[in-house]
Amino acid sequence: MKFKQSLTGWLFMVPFLLVVLAFLVAPLGYAFYLSTQADTLVGGQSFVWLANYATSLTDPVFIEGVKRVLIFGIIQIPIMLFISTTSALVIDALNTRLSRIFRLIAFMPYAVPGVVAALMWGFLYSKSFGPFVGIAGHLGVKDLNFYSLRMFIYSISNIITWAWTGYNMIIIYSALQGLSREVYEAAVVDGASQVQIAIRVKLPAVKNAILLTGLFAIIGTMQLFTEPNILRRYTNAVSMGYTPNIYSFNLAFAQSQFNYAAAVSFTLALVVFVLTYIFMSVSRRKAKSQ
Amino acid sequence: MSNSNVKTRKSGYLATKSYTANTLMIVAIGYFMIPIVWVIVNSTKDNQDLISTFSLWFPKKWHLVQNLHGLLTQDGGLFAVWMRNTAIYSISSALGATLISSMAGYALARFAFRGAKLLESFILGLVMVPATALVMPMYLLFSKVNVVNTPWAVILPSMMSPFGAFLIKVYVAESIPEEILQAARIDRAGEFRIYWQIVLPMLKPALVTVFLFSLVASWNNYFLPLVMLSDNKLYPLTVGLTSWFEQASQEGANSLLFNLVIAGSLIAIIPLILSFLFLQRYWRGGINAGSVK
Amino acid sequence: MIKSTKRIAGFSALALGIILSTTGISAVTQASAAPVHIKVWAWYPNMKEVVDIFNASHSDVQVDWTNAGAGGAEYTKLKTCIKAKKGCPDVAMIEFQTLPTFAILKPFVDMGKYGASNKDGRYAAWAWAQSTQGTQVNAIPVDGGPMAMLYRKDLFAANNIKVPTTWAEYATAAAAIKKVNPDQFIGTYGNDPGWVTGLMWQGGCFPYKYNMTVSAANLGIKLNQASCKKVLSYWGDLVTSKAVDDKSFWATDTGKGYDTDKYWTWVAAGWTPGYLTGQLTDKTLGKWAVAPTPQWTAGADAQGDWGGSSFTVINQTKQAALATKVAMELYPTQTKITKGSAWDIGLNSAFLYPLVTKVESNPEFANYSYKIFADQKVNPIYIHASQKLGAFQWTPIQDFIYSTLGDETTLAINGKAAWSSVLDTVQSKVVAYATKQGFKVSQ
Repeated sequence: MKFKQSLTGWLFMVPFLLVVLAFLVAPLGYAFYLSTQADTLVGGQSFVWLANYATSLTDPVFIEGVKRVLIFGIIQIPIMLFISTTSALVIDALNTRLSRIFRLIAFMPYAVPGVVAALMWGFLYSKSFGPFVGIAGHLGVKDLNFYSLRMFIYSISNIITWAWTGYNMIIIYSALQGLSREVYEAAVVDGASQVQIAIRVKLPAVKNAILLTGLFAIIGTMQLFTEPNILRRYTNAVSMGYTPNIYSFNLAFAQSQFNYAAAVSFTLALVVFVLTYIFMSVSRRKAKSQ
Repeated sequence: MSNSNVKTRKSGYLATKSYTANTLMIVAIGYFMIPIVWVIVNSTKDNQDLISTFSLWFPKKWHLVQNLHGLLTQDGGLFAVWMRNTAIYSISSALGATLISSMAGYALARFAFRGAKLLESFILGLVMVPATALVMPMYLLFSKVNVVNTPWAVILPSMMSPFGAFLIKVYVAESIPEEILQAARIDRAGEFRIYWQIVLPMLKPALVTVFLFSLVASWNNYFLPLVMLSDNKLYPLTVGLTSWFEQASQEGANSLLFNLVIAGSLIAIIPLILSFLFLQRYWRGGINAGSVK
Repeated sequence: MIKSTKRIAGFSALALGIILSTTGISAVTQASAAPVHIKVWAWYPNMKEVVDIFNASHSDVQVDWTNAGAGGAEYTKLKTCIKAKKGCPDVAMIEFQTLPTFAILKPFVDMGKYGASNKDGRYAAWAWAQSTQGTQVNAIPVDGGPMAMLYRKDLFAANNIKVPTTWAEYATAAAAIKKVNPDQFIGTYGNDPGWVTGLMWQGGCFPYKYNMTVSAANLGIKLNQASCKKVLSYWGDLVTSKAVDDKSFWATDTGKGYDTDKYWTWVAAGWTPGYLTGQLTDKTLGKWAVAPTPQWTAGADAQGDWGGSSFTVINQTKQAALATKVAMELYPTQTKITKGSAWDIGLNSAFLYPLVTKVESNPEFANYSYKIFADQKVNPIYIHASQKLGAFQWTPIQDFIYSTLGDETTLAINGKAAWSSVLDTVQSKVVAYATKQGFKVSQ
């Protein structure tokens, strides 16, 4: 019986495993194989163990890109999650017509393809197509340039925030909706205010959902690619290694360095892995100490 | 804090709270709507008005019909082809992803087989490798089996949805009691029949959720089709629109397509927004299950 | 170890194959039937009409044309299919500066074996030199970008500012324009590496030496020589003193700037008027004129080129001869530019600058007038520039050089590096990169 159970379980897994094998494990294995080869333009291919990884760890272009997305994440993710969480708490407490409309509209950007979002914001940021530069001019901010070296990173974080805040809000909101009312009815009887309930009762209860959104945000940020890549025509800010993923793309497709590009991607994956691990253990420890 | 103190503050506090909350929500609605409003307004303009009229208000001469007409006739009606491709690619990969991950999720939840836990964390780890690393080797492998530059190169990889499988797993664990399955087994129903006739119908909200989220993922996919497809009659909307955008910014007079890119963006986002609106009841139930755990 | 990883790769391909075959996919084998179909990737504007003309006039061969993306987007796909040794088109459009980058991957058919030659000076000499390696013919030149100065005739006249003929006068005019209106500029430093390379070319800077047929490993790079630094420092001074703007050429706002008197000139390529026309309204259409590129020495006649492209035949083709024919005849040698012919579309709809000499030297072409320039017949200026162009070589690592040049210049524009050190930095980074790629670099 137990064996049969186990066998049936595996059988149900077969299609999933085949897909994972073909479209995740196989290409990854192949990519890893590529990453252990050195392939110079002159001289051809040779097996170099992990030398490409060693190179990537000291590659200033790669490091600069990692630093940039790290700083980006440290600024953007907390802001976004703060807005998402607050909004989720508000719509959970209110449940008015307005809050329902808000919920839908905030979630809507999720359904907009990242490419289209980048195109739309790209137009909005421009002086001739969009309103912001003109309005800022009337308010006395002269020469607002969303595409300048300094500003561009904020322009990108705005696009990301616009696209993902609502999605994160919905995840947290759904978790809030799943809480049993009894949990905080007790608190209401105790005379706690809505804000107190939100912070002391609801927030800890949906901690896992918030962590989940944080995790997705970290992975997404470290892999930042589409938005800066689409908008690079408009700005000089997007350098060869603006983000690690853009660097890997340029290495592979502009400079024909497929092997090193693969190594860079794996190193990035490793960085992501370490970061998420740190994130999870820190947040767990925090939860414990509370 | 004494009880009376809280009481005296409470009513006034609630009023100000919803006042602030309402104001903030209205501001936020404005923020989230800006690009949408912009794209609606500007899809009614021709290329001249795009840069010469105020960007958040309609032009004097409406050009919406001409833009839509241009959209459907430019390059021999390519846009309609892209639209159809996108629909085919994303619906078939979403259906595939839903079916495959429902089976896997069900198995993970209800069959305590060896290695399941290890498998789970293994797959989660793999997902952290960025797509740029995967696409190139995938291309090389695909080209060995002649799949490059065919719809399959886009559809099949998108059928992989680890998160879909985990969502279903959680949902099954919560909402399909073991007893029902045991009862069916006593009636000598085959395992696959149990899954197909009993489990699947009970999973409806979770299935809709996985379907919708896979639909969005592959509808919005850009990088994979960009590399895999070279025939522009096979492009999905994302790749097609970007190619027009690049053409528009590169060639200027020869093919000023900005008006078409904008009208095309509008058309590209309508189907997804509508499906989320109409299927709201289902997917919210589905996410609910997924996010509790 | 190598073997086992190879086996893993092979096994995964096999697993993939099984999955694909069980899901009902099989490779579609095409029955070969006359006429032969030749696959072409190109992003020339109005390409469809040109292909239709070709197909209507050929019965042995038909062109299946795809726009696989412009520039980098196409190269991405081309690199992947070359790497996979499968899936490439028969004929692919490639820009001149990118030809050696591809050539080192050895994907090209030697079209010389199939009748391509520069007999009777069929193609512009400078372009032909870039399309060949020794006797091997890698590419068929199609269009180029000889440079000249676009300027607002009306504004210069109304404000009594002399239209510059030297770079010194250009700087003087730049300062004069700032006095007319501090929000207006003589132009913008668009930080497009191809553009600044064209200007360096015009300034006598020939930084690259590379000849694959002599040695694939020997690469000469000297970007920090005086003639190159002279050009970059000149623009650096103008940018630092805010006499020219620093916005990218390709931002939509820059395009509008040309229509709103913000920019008075653009030293740009033969194809640029076509681009610019799309950015202008009736307000400034007809107010533009063309003058030769300003000179470093008064009375000199130095010219540069920005852009241009060619057709190559990829060696995965099974029809090298017919593919060569397609590459040569899509934009054919025409002695008369009749209405509706390939070059009529190329010149009048797509605004290509022709590198087919019979077309270039055609009196009809010299006589064309354009809405943007009112009455001026501008083509003789471009024709003169193109014919004055000398040899210029590129490298197989051009993308790295362009990226590095662009990134370092961005730092200079933003005050994070000195303009005078930009080319030194680029030189050392490029040399380090090239050495790592196995080149023997001579500086």
